Amino acid sequence: MKMPESVYVMAVYDRQYRVFRKLLGSSLVANVANPILFLFAFGFGMGSFIDTMSGMSYLTFVVAGMIGYSAAFAASFETSIGAFTRYFLQKNWDAILSTPVTLAELMMGEILWASVKALFSAICVLIVGWLWGGVPTSFEPLLTLPIVFLGSICFACAGLIATAYAKGYEFFSYFFTFWVTPMFIFCGVFFDIDRFPDFIQYFAWLFPMTHLVAAIRPLTAGTELDIAAIFLHTGYITVFSAAAFWIAHRKLRQRLYD
Amino acid sequence: MESTAVITATHLVKRYGKLEVVKGINFSVPAGQCFGLLGPNGAGKSTTMRMIMGLSEVTGGELKVFGEPASDMRREIKAKIGLVPQESNLDPDISVLENLVAFGRYFALSKSAIDQRSNKLLEFMQLNDKKFAPVNALSGGMKRRLTIARALIGDPEMVILDEPTTGLDPQARVLIWKQLTELKKEGRTLLLTTHYMDEAQRLCDQIVVIDNGIILDQGTPEELIARHVKGYVFEVQKPNLAISPENRWDQEDIGDSVLYFVDDTAEFITDLPEDAIYLHRPANLEDVFLRLTGRILREN
Repeated sequence: MKMPESVYVMAVYDRQYRVFRKLLGSSLVANVANPILFLFAFGFGMGSFIDTMSGMSYLTFVVAGMIGYSAAFAASFETSIGAFTRYFLQKNWDAILSTPVTLAELMMGEILWASVKALFSAICVLIVGWLWGGVPTSFEPLLTLPIVFLGSICFACAGLIATAYAKGYEFFSYFFTFWVTPMFIFCGVFFDIDRFPDFIQYFAWLFPMTHLVAAIRPLTAGTELDIAAIFLHTGYITVFSAAAFWIAHRKLRQRLYD
Repeated sequence: MESTAVITATHLVKRYGKLEVVKGINFSVPAGQCFGLLGPNGAGKSTTMRMIMGLSEVTGGELKVFGEPASDMRREIKAKIGLVPQESNLDPDISVLENLVAFGRYFALSKSAIDQRSNKLLEFMQLNDKKFAPVNALSGGMKRRLTIARALIGDPEMVILDEPTTGLDPQARVLIWKQLTELKKEGRTLLLTTHYMDEAQRLCDQIVVIDNGIILDQGTPEELIARHVKGYVFEVQKPNLAISPENRWDQEDIGDSVLYFVDDTAEFITDLPEDAIYLHRPANLEDVFLRLTGRILREN
């Protein structure tokens, strides 16, 4: 296999950026307005019934969760339905693979773009959360950004697995039902996972989302920092990403080459 | 022209499971020529092209592209090839110009090279007034022209064209033929598949006729015509056929009439009965193709 080179990865990334500039309106709505609506509903609506969660205001609790979830949703969507459209419907990937760009570089370009886009929507949630008083810390939230970016890479890689195995758009209902929605429910976005029975907690920790939210929440909420725990969480996310990339690459190779 | 081979296939085999689609073919594509790969649907043309592009693994034999195995092509080699696929895979989300720019980046070209070449190519393919149009606003002919322009962005030594004029109107075909001839004059190697025999006859220096994964014959269009269908064809309606016994003339029964392939037209006409109804024309590549691959309809 050829060593991936950044110039080719960036070429794929650049194409995505060009399209994004054109479709800015709908991209913004999906990636920014959506989580803001959730933040509003849960932070203000539910927050008025819940005093504290894990020793912090409910709004503060939810901001960290929504940062993670908006990144997860944006990255997952981009490399599943988005990438599948380019690959399957538009035959864009066929065109790219007839050039010097390799499959690994194509995938990396897709992942990089999905992660930048995900980071962008996470930043928007962070800003909105801060403006609404849900982020009591000062500079620490900025430290969440590299972690969110890493998490986004992980979600993007997982999305590519779905794309690699999808035979049609129907397939993505499995991906969203059994992968994206559980991240919303079981991974500490809206409530502490300590409330679940043990076996569900073990299950929850399998999701990289749980690790991402656990790593960023102390940074936005200003609770006690456990550096070792952050390394453990990011380590899990890294290993998960690498494994997902490998699986997606192997399957796509089978499908795109014969 | 003294030339070296750009592609050499030696006993090239491709199998999908037990199904053998390319069965040990040998051919070589000389540099600077237009090389035609002809055959009915399912003959093995597309598979062969995919192998040349490194998109399909070689099962057996050897396939060298610019002297290197196709399955493990270096980037610099891949950059010497431009592909014009049969099905449009232009990027519908971006404009005509941006399609060229995006492709230039896939070839790792500098910004100035991309600017310069894309303008030149838009002119070459007569797409200048569509520069900023979205791809979906283009007609079929324009899309094909853009696909060809896109394949040329890397200034390739070899251009592979998979049925470049299928589904286009005569005007669009003529323009594409003219520009392909230009490319040949610039010294580029063209590898072409087509179902249009007039196209192959007009453009190709060398032709390989392939069917069921084997090569039926190869040569220049003139050689193939001389070898298989002589100089002229008479299509004589039944029942008033040539008087001489069947083995005198090279002939083929096509149902309502019989085709006679002859060198000497005057001699043949004297062998026809008074009331024979016939059509008479110079033999062409289409006759060769049909004689070699048969008249049975192909299904993919």
